[in-house]
Amino acid sequence: MARTLGNDTPGTAGHSARRAFETFGPYLTISLLLIAWELASRLELVIAFLLPPLSVVIVRIATDFASGQLPMDIAITLYRTLVAFALAAIVGVSIGILISRNATVRWFFDPLISIGLPMPKIALLPVFMLWFGLFDLSKILMVAFSASFQIIIATWAATQSIEKELIWSAQSLGASRREILREVILPAAMPQILTGLQIALPICLIVVLITEMIMGGQGLGDSMLRSARYVDSPGVFAGIVEIGIVGFCVIRAMEVIRRRLLVWHQETREETTV
Amino acid sequence: MTSRTPPAETPSSGGISIRSVCHEYRPARGRPVLALDNIDLEINDREFVAILGPSGCGKSTLLYLLGGFMPLQQGGISVGGRDITGPGPDRGIVFQNFALFPWKTVRQNILYGLEKQRLPKDERERTTRHFIDMVHLTGFEDSYPSQLSGGMKQRVAIARTLAINPDTLLMDEPFGALDAQTRSLMQEELLAIWNRSPTTVVFVTHDVREAVLLADRVVVMTARPGRVKKIIDTRFEGGMNAEIAKSRPFLDRVDEIWDLVREEAIVAGSAGAG
Ligand SMILES: Nc1ncnc2c1ncn2[C@@H]1O[C@H](COP(=O)(O)OP(=O)(O)O)[C@@H](O)[C@H]1O
Ligand SMILES: [Mg+2]
Repeated sequence: MARTLGNDTPGTAGHSARRAFETFGPYLTISLLLIAWELASRLELVIAFLLPPLSVVIVRIATDFASGQLPMDIAITLYRTLVAFALAAIVGVSIGILISRNATVRWFFDPLISIGLPMPKIALLPVFMLWFGLFDLSKILMVAFSASFQIIIATWAATQSIEKELIWSAQSLGASRREILREVILPAAMPQILTGLQIALPICLIVVLITEMIMGGQGLGDSMLRSARYVDSPGVFAGIVEIGIVGFCVIRAMEVIRRRLLVWHQETREETTV
Repeated sequence: MTSRTPPAETPSSGGISIRSVCHEYRPARGRPVLALDNIDLEINDREFVAILGPSGCGKSTLLYLLGGFMPLQQGGISVGGRDITGPGPDRGIVFQNFALFPWKTVRQNILYGLEKQRLPKDERERTTRHFIDMVHLTGFEDSYPSQLSGGMKQRVAIARTLAINPDTLLMDEPFGALDAQTRSLMQEELLAIWNRSPTTVVFVTHDVREAVLLADRVVVMTARPGRVKKIIDTRFEGGMNAEIAKSRPFLDRVDEIWDLVREEAIVAGSAGAG
């Protein structure tokens, strides 16, 4: 462990109470929401069909899990999300870097990105279906396409904000142009690139669910929509809870990866010493 | 205080010739800024030249041009008889804002230039050790720059540049972030290094006493646009030592240069420049 010069103030009672609140605060909010949900339908404030009690939904989740249907759906949805995310990350970071280094590439992509970024990319789904068929390929390409804009923008902005002295240092220490890209530009841009990826990941999950709802082919989105067709309200709400949990886990995993990659960064140190 | 003796018999690294150099910054927005106006300066082989001038007069700009980081707009610069075409490890530079690689530890920062020189591993490690000890950072080898104070970062930057043993040293207020005591230690250290293997040094500073103490000649620049106002010889009979640094001639020289710098600082101040 590197030596830190930070302030290691000894924990006081007030300090640790605040720490406990910071750790458990978010769970408290969620717990209150869940309790309110359970009570609302138990006390028949709402019709159970419109909002089945949480306990019923949990039992439903457990049954689906035991039957193997739920693990299967999660695996399929995660597979699509992560493959599309990896594709978007590779393509997005590459295009972002190329834009920042080559005027022609910038001239070509700049207007496309300006138009594409605010557009609802999902509107192109019929085109993707026509071009790439009705199975995984069209879903994955649709999702990667939707998420890549954020990554391109983040990468481009990151490379623009690198201190020029940093690159000059490397040059005068004898680094070649290619070495500077790999050893200076990429690591210097990494915090902002990761921020872009952290925005892109939930977009991937959302678009996967939408494509599943529209195109079927299993996965959490497909299951949920099927429940709705069969007027199976516990099934619909089970889907919502499952999606919430999967999304939460995916985002947390990404945060862990960020901290691993940025051990050198100020933000990481602060998080570990506070 | 280390004594300053005439250069020893080491192979020539070559002097610097600056001929009619102008530089204008042309920002994308706003008016162009003429930073340097017709600079003529001949620096001898293995001469230590200090550059003084009010803030914003183009001192950093001149160093960047010597480093080859920006294209020459007008005039010519040659180092060791050859026109410079770009950055290179023959000219080591210490930047005003350190420009350390924040994702590398102290040790890795210093190793970087040595790796580019393809030295054998044990020699790289030995040199790195030596320079870490020299700048008094033993125990902080594995710290990241974000964990260091400004003065410590500055010392890493100096060590990183000295480690690659450049023929010409360009230093942009390298001791600016140091406290008085460390500053005078580092001044001695720099003189000792220079005495052991004299190289051509261009040393930008705000500190008149430091300039007179270290340099063979002091160049005073005018307020923006930077021109050479006056060049003062600051060599003393019998080299530099603690006695001379307290002597009348030394203090008179400091006062004389101080007046010149002050005149320009007033011009810069009344022009509303920063
Ligand atoms: N990238 C830039 N764009 C526009 N103006 C600049 C830029 N860099 C420096 N300048 C201006 O050029 C002048 C000289 O700058 P600099 O060489 O940094 O001065 P010094 O190092 O002597 O303080 C200053 O007035 C500064 O505002
Ligand atoms: Mg400067």
